[in-house]
Amino acid sequence: MTSTTPKPKKGLSLRLILILLSLVGLNLLVSLQIAQWSFSWLPVAASTAAPYVDGLFSLEVGMGAFLFNGCVGFILWSVIANRAEKYDESDGLPIEGNTKLEIIWTVIPFIIVMALAIYSIDVNGKLDTLGPKNKYDVAENQSPKTVASLDGLSEVGPIEVISRQWNWEFVYPNGVRSSELHLPIDQRANFLLTSKDVIHSFYIPAFRLKQDIIPGSVISYSITPTREGRYRLRDAHFSGAYFSENQTHVIVQSKDDYASWLQSTNERPLVPGLSPGTVQYQKRLSKGNKGWATVPPAPPPMVNDPGNPDDPHEA
Amino acid sequence: MTTTNTDLPLNHQPGHIKHDGHNLTGFIIFLCSESIIFLAFFIGFALLKTTAPEWLPEGVEGLETRMPLINTIVLVSSSFVAYFAERYLHQKNLWGFRALWLLTMAMGAYFVYGQYIEWSELEFGLSSGVFGGTFFLLTGFHGLHVITGILLMALMLLRSFRANNYDKGDMGVTSVSLFWHFVDVIWIILYLLIYVWQRTT
Amino acid sequence: MTSTKYDPRILKTQHPVPGAPDNWKRFFTFNTDAKVIGIQYMCLALIFLLIGGLLAMVMRGELITPPADLVDPSVYNGLYTMHGTIMLFLFLFPVLNGFNNLLIPTMIGAPDMAFPKLNAAAFWLVPVFAIVLLASFFVPGGPASSGWWSYPPVSIQNPLGHFINGQFLWILAVALSGVSSIMGAVNFVTTIIRMRAPGMGYFRMPVFIWTAWAAQTLQLIGLPALTGGAIMLLFDLSFGTSFFLPEGGGDPVLYQHFFWFYSHPAVYVMVLPVFGIFSEVITVYSRKPLFGYKFVALASFIITFLGLIVWVHHMFYSGTPQWMRNLFMVTTMLIAVPTGVKVFAWLGTLWGGKIRLSTPMLFVLGGLINFIFGGITGVMLGTAPIDIHVGNTYFVVAHFHYIIFNTIGFGIFAGIYHWFPKFTGRMYYEGLGKVHFVLTFIGATLNWLPLHWAGLLGMPRRVASYDPEFAIWNVIASIGAFMLGVASIPFILNIVSSWVRGPKAPANPWNAIGLEWLLPSPPPAENFEDDVPTVISEPYGYGLGKPLVEDQNFYVRRSMEA
Repeated sequence: MTSTTPKPKKGLSLRLILILLSLVGLNLLVSLQIAQWSFSWLPVAASTAAPYVDGLFSLEVGMGAFLFNGCVGFILWSVIANRAEKYDESDGLPIEGNTKLEIIWTVIPFIIVMALAIYSIDVNGKLDTLGPKNKYDVAENQSPKTVASLDGLSEVGPIEVISRQWNWEFVYPNGVRSSELHLPIDQRANFLLTSKDVIHSFYIPAFRLKQDIIPGSVISYSITPTREGRYRLRDAHFSGAYFSENQTHVIVQSKDDYASWLQSTNERPLVPGLSPGTVQYQKRLSKGNKGWATVPPAPPPMVNDPGNPDDPHEA
Repeated sequence: MTTTNTDLPLNHQPGHIKHDGHNLTGFIIFLCSESIIFLAFFIGFALLKTTAPEWLPEGVEGLETRMPLINTIVLVSSSFVAYFAERYLHQKNLWGFRALWLLTMAMGAYFVYGQYIEWSELEFGLSSGVFGGTFFLLTGFHGLHVITGILLMALMLLRSFRANNYDKGDMGVTSVSLFWHFVDVIWIILYLLIYVWQRTT
Repeated sequence: MTSTKYDPRILKTQHPVPGAPDNWKRFFTFNTDAKVIGIQYMCLALIFLLIGGLLAMVMRGELITPPADLVDPSVYNGLYTMHGTIMLFLFLFPVLNGFNNLLIPTMIGAPDMAFPKLNAAAFWLVPVFAIVLLASFFVPGGPASSGWWSYPPVSIQNPLGHFINGQFLWILAVALSGVSSIMGAVNFVTTIIRMRAPGMGYFRMPVFIWTAWAAQTLQLIGLPALTGGAIMLLFDLSFGTSFFLPEGGGDPVLYQHFFWFYSHPAVYVMVLPVFGIFSEVITVYSRKPLFGYKFVALASFIITFLGLIVWVHHMFYSGTPQWMRNLFMVTTMLIAVPTGVKVFAWLGTLWGGKIRLSTPMLFVLGGLINFIFGGITGVMLGTAPIDIHVGNTYFVVAHFHYIIFNTIGFGIFAGIYHWFPKFTGRMYYEGLGKVHFVLTFIGATLNWLPLHWAGLLGMPRRVASYDPEFAIWNVIASIGAFMLGVASIPFILNIVSSWVRGPKAPANPWNAIGLEWLLPSPPPAENFEDDVPTVISEPYGYGLGKPLVEDQNFYVRRSMEA
């Protein structure tokens, strides 16, 4: 502060300290409440990864809420308390800064942010042990299985996930092909993700997991579902005209149900699978092929179980 | 406000501030920025080369290095010629400047000609995988800079015949010669990446 | 000490320059006056804000119901691609270059830019690439429709196989825009380094100059990388190379690195000058010096530096190795520190001020609140585990609109109102300005706040249709979007009518401190011309009673009498 400062105040009075402390306390309570609510903003948690992601999210929501409330509260208070009178043309307190305070608000955020980063790295590492995501380059006509090193800890799989413009195909170790992904609960499943054309993304919101699928490479990827139910699998990387339709179901079943599904499906004949892009494209052609240019969709894959896209899903 | 002008005691003497000599500043800033494009291409080249499953297209052994080496020597020495040309200009030896400047241009032109010969004798094309693509992209983009440099030098040469051309300094020549050095340095890196690196792999 | 009778003709040079086309016509010529170019940039940019906004409203109309029923999905994809491209390359960059042109010379006391002709050429490239970009609506197959990222392989699929296609024109337009931006950046940086008024050391420059300098430095470093990537993409699309195609040994992810190396810093290119505007406006309307001026100024360059090493956070789930994810998570989170310094400095400036809630201040405070919110969601997105869930969902869309419109857009509106009297010579109507603010704030909040939840629940971005459970968030968002459309009416009305018949503006209507306020409104062609003031103190000396320049009274009087 400069010497010309007309001494704003000598020290904070006890009353002011109490008011400030109670405001901070109130903010803390509100932020904790918001952090609690934040769990309900997310879809049902259905994989071993979900609790970690949700916990970290809730932590950051709480910290963010505290900061946001504090700053916005300060702005609103300033605007009300320090509002200039209508004809008051005078200047405010000529405070040019306070080096101590500036260092404090550089160092403290730095420490908080670094702590958060270290904690996030830790969570990142845990997620990686739950399901490593390794990318291997694959040349044309090479089988993904020969290139990728499989996840040794997995109990199911490797399930080949083949993405196309615009459909999904799942190939199980016993040769069963399906349009919907069936998984047994509480068992670590290993996937080999490949794309036949452009970049797609394997995204199951209920599992809190997302992995881009890069053409020309295979990604070995593992997850463990923890809750039975039917969830949405969405393509999360823009992949052309019918990208938004490129969705299917993930069905998490009990171990027995999964085994019997695998068994019975194996005996079913191959039929054209779920291919929302093809359906949409047919509609477009029947209407005179209006709209802007698009590549034609890949033909529907031949699968044993085409699934039912109209079944309700939980998340 | 009234329009009467009263005498005001002033602490300063009004006068025009000269804002000269920022052409070179601007040009250096531009060159720094331009070098990033090359840097991007170099990094792209290195990454593609190290990760591509098959680098050389079928039937291609690698690149011939003798001719490009001669080319490199010519281009790099032209930088020194340009430097001495600039020295002559500072010494007001106009004809010395013009002669060496023309020699620099000729050496640059020889380089472009050599590049053209090399390109026409190659057994792969632009679409021969990433190897062909990066080769033509890098050498072509650099070649464009060499040609631009020669054209700029020609402009400076013509201007040197204008009377009183250097009354305001020789910023133009300095800039062009800087550009020429830049193009040479880029070529050295490019040569190491494309021609020298291939032997070790 | 000399006593000089000053020449009354100084600052009486006709505006525009004698001999140049008169009045409004000069805005349609190759004029080299930075103030003319600044207004050219701004007006053109605002027209494209309307066009881009119109596209957005068609999109929001499509998204008001779950199925793709209003437009075909292929059309939707083209619309969102063009919306993003137009808003970035034809609204945000030009409008900020408009501010640079108006403010840099006047704030540092330079007569013009370092390279006036280059400056005009950079501007006139904008309509050229605008035409190229808009022409893509009329080529067979429609415009580019692979998003403003134009990630290969989708972007190089070229369904119809024509040589001239929407994507081709898109790349051409982006490359031209890059050339224009580099020309601008060379100019701005040279001007700031070489043409400051006597006495104006680096730590006497207004914060806007600092931020513009930091932002243009980012342009110079980052943009060439994008240009390199765009050239390679163009070759892949049109000339049969396979840099980004796995079939020929290329790598699609390499493009993502080129793209984000520039396009993440591009956000800082846009937000930094807005931080500058925040600093200028908050000090004037709080009537206080900027709290911790030097920290705020330096934080700009720390943001520049950190901004260059965070780009991989856009690729957390692209098969990026773990060590890279961890590294870039740390750098991303670090950005919160210098931005935090700025936010706290603004809060500190508000404290004990004499706050006046004029339109610019309202927009800045609204923008500041939105920025704090967007910054927090930004840290969440920078956290790899969370990003793996919310990345590429509407959470991202909501986050970056909170930054790009709710912060940058608000800052731009604030700047337009704040300097409107200075550069047009007319006052704007305060009432209409406030209506504009209220509508914009409510509309923007309705539009983007709910979309965070849609994203958290797993609604991917860039979708033409979606599952019915997301409908509620989208209905609210669409209402907000239409409200934003309505909000443009009081704005246009205000700007147009004020410029035509608003009350004449005095030289310094806000009683602000800064070289530009020592000039008449509007400033004459060469700004201070033959008599540039010597700066003797730091900027923002509100309440300190120190003059900004030597012979301050003389310059004040001169500006009022001109």
